[in-house]
Amino acid sequence: MAVDVKTWASKFKNLTDNDETIQCMGRYYTCSFMYDMTDCKVIVEMHDGKVKNINTDPAPLDPYDFALRASAQTWREFAKPVPKPMFHGIWAASFCEDLKLEGNLLVLMQNLRNFTVQFELLRKSGVPV
Amino acid sequence: MARHSPVTGRYVTIEVDGNEYKVFYLHNGNGQPLICQHTAGAHNHQWRGLLEDEEFTREYNIIAYDLPRHGKSDPPHNREWWKEEYRLTAEHYVNFIVKLCDALELKDPIFMGSSFGGNVALQLALRRPDRFKAVIPVEAADYAPGFFLDWWRHPHANAAQVCASGVWDLMAPQSPDMDRWLTWHYYSQGSEAFKGDLYFYSVDHDLREELQNIDARRCPVVMMTGIYDYLTPPEATENTARQIRGGVYIEMEDIGHFPMSENHEVFRVYLREALRIIKERTG
Repeated sequence: MAVDVKTWASKFKNLTDNDETIQCMGRYYTCSFMYDMTDCKVIVEMHDGKVKNINTDPAPLDPYDFALRASAQTWREFAKPVPKPMFHGIWAASFCEDLKLEGNLLVLMQNLRNFTVQFELLRKSGVPV
Repeated sequence: MARHSPVTGRYVTIEVDGNEYKVFYLHNGNGQPLICQHTAGAHNHQWRGLLEDEEFTREYNIIAYDLPRHGKSDPPHNREWWKEEYRLTAEHYVNFIVKLCDALELKDPIFMGSSFGGNVALQLALRRPDRFKAVIPVEAADYAPGFFLDWWRHPHANAAQVCASGVWDLMAPQSPDMDRWLTWHYYSQGSEAFKGDLYFYSVDHDLREELQNIDARRCPVVMMTGIYDYLTPPEATENTARQIRGGVYIEMEDIGHFPMSENHEVFRVYLREALRIIKERTG
């Protein structure tokens, strides 16, 4: 059973804000992105390596820099402690599965180190779908 | 007492297609020459585990070089390379490897390379089967489009981190953190060469119509790919090996696109099998 989105948001923020790999180079990790899990959407707002806010009920015109969109099943695979091949990262899943990277991808590339580390925290937090 | 490694490094100067290259290589071991090519945008430290693995160095003369523009091998010293865009071609790559083997007086070497090193192993089997005892293309395929991207050196992003984190999930999540981060570290050092390497990998290397001209009965071709490789997924390598007369395919569990660098302990098991097959076929 999927965890409630607000409970998930709190856990994901806590994991991010206390992750040593992110925090040791967290300065300037400032951007916003949507995790579109089909059955649930959230906008994560980062500021200097910390989660400033997670919008768990985004309205149609709420802004963000870039988005990751995939089926709920793909997000559930991302969140497994050891994901199976091709669900083990955003490049793998966009090359071989149904993940779509949309929006201003330059911002993604500018923050790729920390974003990638943070994305893998889903393996600890689970996903709300 | 100093804790010296048995691995030693040297430079050798060679000329390839009018370019003067001062090439750095690491070496350890005795016996059958086994020459190793790193992946695109990286350098020879990716072979650090193999270079110090006594099971292999007892029987093999292991040489891991830095391709020019990588690690400690400079761009050519005899031309103004900074005035042109670096784009590696199959022809130049093959010529370089053969010239290096000649300079080091390697008799019947086995060539092993990963990723763009694996793809050039196929090119060697096609173009110079007379010069190599066998080839081991690791994480290779007849064609590997999609990675010749401007993101690798976009001036508005940190290219070092884009390259290093851009290849992060080419590795398996099971691989040890230290080895994955060391691979990340190598990739943070090679961003200026990465895109030019990938011109060969994703554009110039296309053997889809040539595989029938590779004869693995003359020069054995043992291909190996990890199941977490999304760029040349197992089915791409298997499909390539199947079209080569006498080609062999070995699938590697729980490992990705940089097997020797991300998890030597897993990789060595499969390498042992590849070398056993080569020995069986070549005597």
